[in-house]
Amino acid sequence: MIVVTGLGLVSPHGEDAQAVFEALCRGESAVHEVFRGELPRPAAAATVAFDETRWFTKLQLAGVDRVSQLAVAAAELAARDAALPEGVDPTRVGVFVGCGMGGGAAIENAYRIGVAGGRVPPLTIPAFMPNAPAAHVAIRQRAQGPVLSYAVACASSAVAIGEARHALRRGEIDVALAGGSEALIVPGVVAAWQAMQTLADFAADGPEAPQAAARACRPFAADRCGFVLGEGAGFLVLEPEAQALARGARVRGRLLGYGTSCDAAHLTKLDAAGQARALAAALRDAGLQPGDVGYCNAHGTATKIGDLVEAQALAQVFGQALPGLRVSSTKALHGHLLGAAGALEAIVTLLSLQQQRLPPNVHGAAVEPQCRLNLVQGRDTAAPGLQAAISSSFAFGGTNAVLAFGRA
Amino acid sequence: MSSLAELQELIERKYGIAPAQLDPQGSMRGSGIDSLALVEFIFEVEERFGITLQSDPDVDTLADLARLIDEQRAAKATASPA
Repeated sequence: MIVVTGLGLVSPHGEDAQAVFEALCRGESAVHEVFRGELPRPAAAATVAFDETRWFTKLQLAGVDRVSQLAVAAAELAARDAALPEGVDPTRVGVFVGCGMGGGAAIENAYRIGVAGGRVPPLTIPAFMPNAPAAHVAIRQRAQGPVLSYAVACASSAVAIGEARHALRRGEIDVALAGGSEALIVPGVVAAWQAMQTLADFAADGPEAPQAAARACRPFAADRCGFVLGEGAGFLVLEPEAQALARGARVRGRLLGYGTSCDAAHLTKLDAAGQARALAAALRDAGLQPGDVGYCNAHGTATKIGDLVEAQALAQVFGQALPGLRVSSTKALHGHLLGAAGALEAIVTLLSLQQQRLPPNVHGAAVEPQCRLNLVQGRDTAAPGLQAAISSSFAFGGTNAVLAFGRA
Repeated sequence: MSSLAELQELIERKYGIAPAQLDPQGSMRGSGIDSLALVEFIFEVEERFGITLQSDPDVDTLADLARLIDEQRAAKATASPA
């Protein structure tokens, strides 16, 4: 059995995992308008108030993009939370990091300068390469075992956590730092997402504009219109249970299972059958029956098609047990962290188990009638007896990843 | 004229290292300015002084770097008289 002994996150709702969870349970949105006047259309996102000088000297920041800065901070918080003992063999420590695109700020800056005929900063390449976050985490944590990056779009960090579990179960490592990081809130990348027609629209004028931005993402709502981008990083410390117990570690939860699949059908069109295979694989791997699972932190991006497909996949796998599965998508509040989404949402799922409480599914007064899901309501967040929960991540490219967690 | 004082000011502003903390004759790498930071610093020096140093200048002390810059600036002044 692989257990979680540390949690760390740097998120739009802050760095204190417990406080982040409380904010989500209160339904507080961290989404706000960004780049007013800089883009053809209004844009909203959930950004991180991050002070890099707390984590790096000015010298250490040479060639370190924000995506790596967030990763280093979140991984360090997770390592501290786990209180790993001295004397861990560094060659038996692995780092598994999901990242969708790498250093967006570095590459956008280089393009802007380069296209204008200016001199491109010399450390642009090491700053934006997608494995930079993992490398920086490894350097900071002195992890000399496998240090691997997973670029699986929105499923990146769920895959990273699942693959870390495999490496632990194969006995290749003793400790894994697994999670993800993403920092793409730069004008060019936001404009590219807008061009894809997947981002939520909102009324950016008038006194209600801040509220409109905060509520722009409405998962499973009849009037949903897409997601909002978020940034941040999240990491788990994973260890074999026997080792964790022997060293007296505080166990935050159990990583019971991991299922992954590929639709192998279309790059961006979601597929219920593919998602159902990942859901079923995770339950099988965890040794769980559908009726054992009390909560699903859904992928729930609030796109017109995406939420319908996810509801279909859940219905296929859970069948008669579907009404007993409570569902929410916290992306309404923290945005879509893309490569870091799986990690942040895994942490939310673990805290749900620990707290016996569920973050609500918000911003949808009128639920999409075709999504016959038992959505967590704002005044009904208590979940006494919750023993197992899942977190779903479904990616562009067709890769689906589902993590199953159990109460400590 | 030596560029040393200007370099010291630039290092203090960019990296927070006061002139007294960095011996001009000592190894910059030994003071924590590793090869990546040095690449970035030399880029900024080129921008600031409007010169081009060779792609991988063999400098390890601030005094070496100041000397290189002085040479470049002198050459530039000779090549383009006012």
